[in-house]
Amino acid sequence: MKLASRKTATADVTRRQRSAHSSKEALYWIGPAALVILLIFGYSVVSVLISSFRYDGDWVGLENFEIVITDPIFLTALKHNGLLLLAVPVLIILAFILAVTLFETRRGMRFYRSAIFLPYILPIPVVAVVFGQIYQLNGALNIFLRSIGLEPLAQDWLGDPSIALGTMSSVIIWKEVGFGVILMLAHIISLPNETYEAARIDGAGFWRTHLSITRPAILNTIVFYGVIEAITMVSWVFNYVYVMSNGLGGPGNATMVSELYIYRAAFQNKAPELAAVAAVFLFVATLILMVAFFRIQRRSIAGTFNK
Amino acid sequence: MKSKKVLAIGAMALALLLSACSSSSDETSAEGDKAAFPTEDLTLNISWWGEQEAPGAQKWLEETIALYTKEHPNVTIKHVLQTTDGLIPSFEAAAAAQSGPDIQYFWGGIYTQQPGWDGHIAPISDYLSEEELSHYINAKVEAGFQGKVWTAPWYINPSFPLLVRKDILADNGLSVPTNWDELMKVCDVLSAKKITTIAGGVKDGWFGGWIYSILGGQSVQSQADVINAVVGTTKFTDPEHATWWTKLEESRDRKCWNDDINSLELYQAQQKFVDGTAAMTITAGPDAPNFAKKAGGDEKVTIMAMPAWSDGPLAGKMGTTSQTLGITKWSKYPQVAADFIKFSHTTDRLNAWYAATGSMPADDRFDISQVQSASTKALFESALNGAPYLENFIPAQLDADAVFKNVQLVLKGEVTAAEAAADKQAIMERLRKSDRKLVDNFTAWAK
Repeated sequence: MKLASRKTATADVTRRQRSAHSSKEALYWIGPAALVILLIFGYSVVSVLISSFRYDGDWVGLENFEIVITDPIFLTALKHNGLLLLAVPVLIILAFILAVTLFETRRGMRFYRSAIFLPYILPIPVVAVVFGQIYQLNGALNIFLRSIGLEPLAQDWLGDPSIALGTMSSVIIWKEVGFGVILMLAHIISLPNETYEAARIDGAGFWRTHLSITRPAILNTIVFYGVIEAITMVSWVFNYVYVMSNGLGGPGNATMVSELYIYRAAFQNKAPELAAVAAVFLFVATLILMVAFFRIQRRSIAGTFNK
Repeated sequence: MKSKKVLAIGAMALALLLSACSSSSDETSAEGDKAAFPTEDLTLNISWWGEQEAPGAQKWLEETIALYTKEHPNVTIKHVLQTTDGLIPSFEAAAAAQSGPDIQYFWGGIYTQQPGWDGHIAPISDYLSEEELSHYINAKVEAGFQGKVWTAPWYINPSFPLLVRKDILADNGLSVPTNWDELMKVCDVLSAKKITTIAGGVKDGWFGGWIYSILGGQSVQSQADVINAVVGTTKFTDPEHATWWTKLEESRDRKCWNDDINSLELYQAQQKFVDGTAAMTITAGPDAPNFAKKAGGDEKVTIMAMPAWSDGPLAGKMGTTSQTLGITKWSKYPQVAADFIKFSHTTDRLNAWYAATGSMPADDRFDISQVQSASTKALFESALNGAPYLENFIPAQLDADAVFKNVQLVLKGEVTAAEAAADKQAIMERLRKSDRKLVDNFTAWAK
C-alpha cells in the first residue's frame, strides 16, 4: 500500500515536472507571437481607453461616457445591433436546413454548394451596391412584384425607416448563410455513415434523422457559427450599412449601428474621444460574446467527453 | 513567483500606458516657412473633389499642372480625385497622421473654418497678398476668420438653382412659377397627370442640406441669424428657423417630389430631369449649365432661384458659395502650393476653367462677357450678388444628424415639421455639449 502510494507520489511529481517543463517550452514557442499581439492589440486598446477619458488632450473623467450614453443616436445604434442579433437564429436554422438538404442531395451537390457559398465570397460593397439598386422603390424587386400582380407587396425597402433595417438584415442573411452551410456540411460529411444507416433501418425519416442525429452531432459547429455571426451582427456590419445608406445610417437613423456611429464620430464629426467611448462599449460587448462562446464550447466539449 | 508575475504584467501595462500617453500628447508642428521659392526637386500632392459637380475640372487641373510644372521644372504635382462621401474622412485621416496632401479641397463656410480651427490648415492669407485675395469671390465671407483667410476660393457654386423645363410646363398648360404658391399649383397639375414636378434624391443626404438652404434661407435676415441659433442665442424652433419645415411638408403633401425620393441618390434622381420625366430639378450650380444643355438649352430650360415663399431679404435670391483650396499645415512647401493656387487664378487659367467646365471661376477678374448663354450669364450674375448659403454656416454634424435626417423623415411622412424643428434644436443643444469649443469658435467667426 505504502509502495503504491509512493509510486503514485513519484508519478505525480514527474507529471508536475513534465507539465512545468512543457509549459515553459510552450511559453518559448508562443512568447514572440504573444508579445507582438500584446503590443499591437494591447497598445490599441490602452490607447482607445485613454482617449475615451480625454478631450483635446485634457483629462475629463467620465464626461465623454456621459455624452455618449445619453446620445439618442448611440442608443439607437445599440438597439439596432441588438435587433440584428435576431438574424442569428434565422441564419442558424437556414444554414442547417440548407446543409442537410445539400447532404441529402445526390446529384449536383457541388454545384448547389458553390451557388450557396458564392454570396459569402463576394465583396460586401459590391453586394450592397447591387441590393441597393434592387431594393429601390422602382427597382428590380418591386418591378417584378408589380409584374406578377403583387403591387401591395412592393415597398420602399430601403427608403422606409420602418422596414429599412429588416431589409438590410435580409442582405446580411443572404450573404452570411453560405458560410454556415459550408461549415455544417463539412462536419456532417465527416460523421460516420453507419449511424445514418442504422437510423434509416429503424425507420427514422428525414427530419427525425437530422434533428436527433445530425443536430447534436454538429452542435459544436452550430454554436461556433452562431457566435461568429453574433459577433458579425455586433461589430462587423459596417460595410453593409455604410454602402447601402451612403454612410448615413438612414433613412432617419433607421439603419444606424454602433460601428457607423464610431466611424462618423471619429472621421466625420471630428470627435475621436466620443468614438473611443463607443469603441470601448463595442469592445466590451464583443468580449462578452467571445467569453460566452468559449464557455459554451468548453461545456459542450466536456459534455461530449462525458457521454 | 506570483508577485513577480504581477510586477511584470504591471510593468508592461505601464509601458503601454506611457507609450499611448506620449503619442496622444505628441503634437506635430508644421509651421510653413516663408523662405524663397525652393529650387530643389519637390512634389506637391493635391486631394480634391469637384469633377462630380463641374465635369471637366479634372481636364483643367491636369492642364494647369502641366503648364505650371513647365514653368517650374523642379516641381512635380500629383492629384487624387476624392469621392463625395470620402472627401472629409480622407482629409481627417490625413490630419490625424499629420501627413498627406499639400493642397486640399474644401467646400465653403464651416467646411473651411473647421479644419482651420482644428489647426489642420495654414491660412492662405499668410502666403498670398491681400490685393490678390481681394479678387477671390466669397473669400472673406466664408473663409475669413479674425482677419485671416483660411483657403482660396477656386470656383463658384451658385447654390442651388432650380432648373425648369419650360417645354414640359407648356405641354401641360403651365408657365414658369414665380412664387411658392404658383409652384404648388404646378405640383397639383403635374402630379394629377402623374408627372414629377421636382426630381430629387435624399438617400445620400446632401440634397437635404440644399433644400434647407434654399427654403430655410428665405426667412432669415442673414447668416448671423443662423450662427445665433448655433451658439444658443436663438433657437432652431423659432419661426425664422422653423417655418421652412412646414413648406417642405407642404411640398410633400402637394406631391411635388418623385415618389422614390427616399430611395434615390441625388445624382440618380437628377437624371429624371434630363430624361424628361420630371419638370424640374435642383442641381449643383457649376453643373447647372451642363444640365440645361443636356435638356435642350436655353430654349427649353430656365435656370432660376427657388420661388419665394416669404418676403425676407434673401427670399428669391440665389445662394452663393465658393469651393476652395487650402494649404495643409504639414505641407513642406506651402509657398509653392500658394504659388500654384495663384497661378490657377491667372486670366488664361480662369478662361480655361470656364471653357472646360462651363462654370464660373471664383475670381472677379473673370470676364463674364464671354458667356454666350443667357441663362448661364444670369446664373453667374445672380451668384455674384447672391445670398449666403446657409448650410455652410451650421456645424457639419448638425447638417448630417438633423437636417439630412429630418428632411428624409419629413418627405417620408414619418415626422411633422414641428417635430423636425424640435429635433434639430435638441441635436444642436447636444452638440454644444459634446463639441466643447463650438460656441467659442462660432462666436469668434461671427465677429
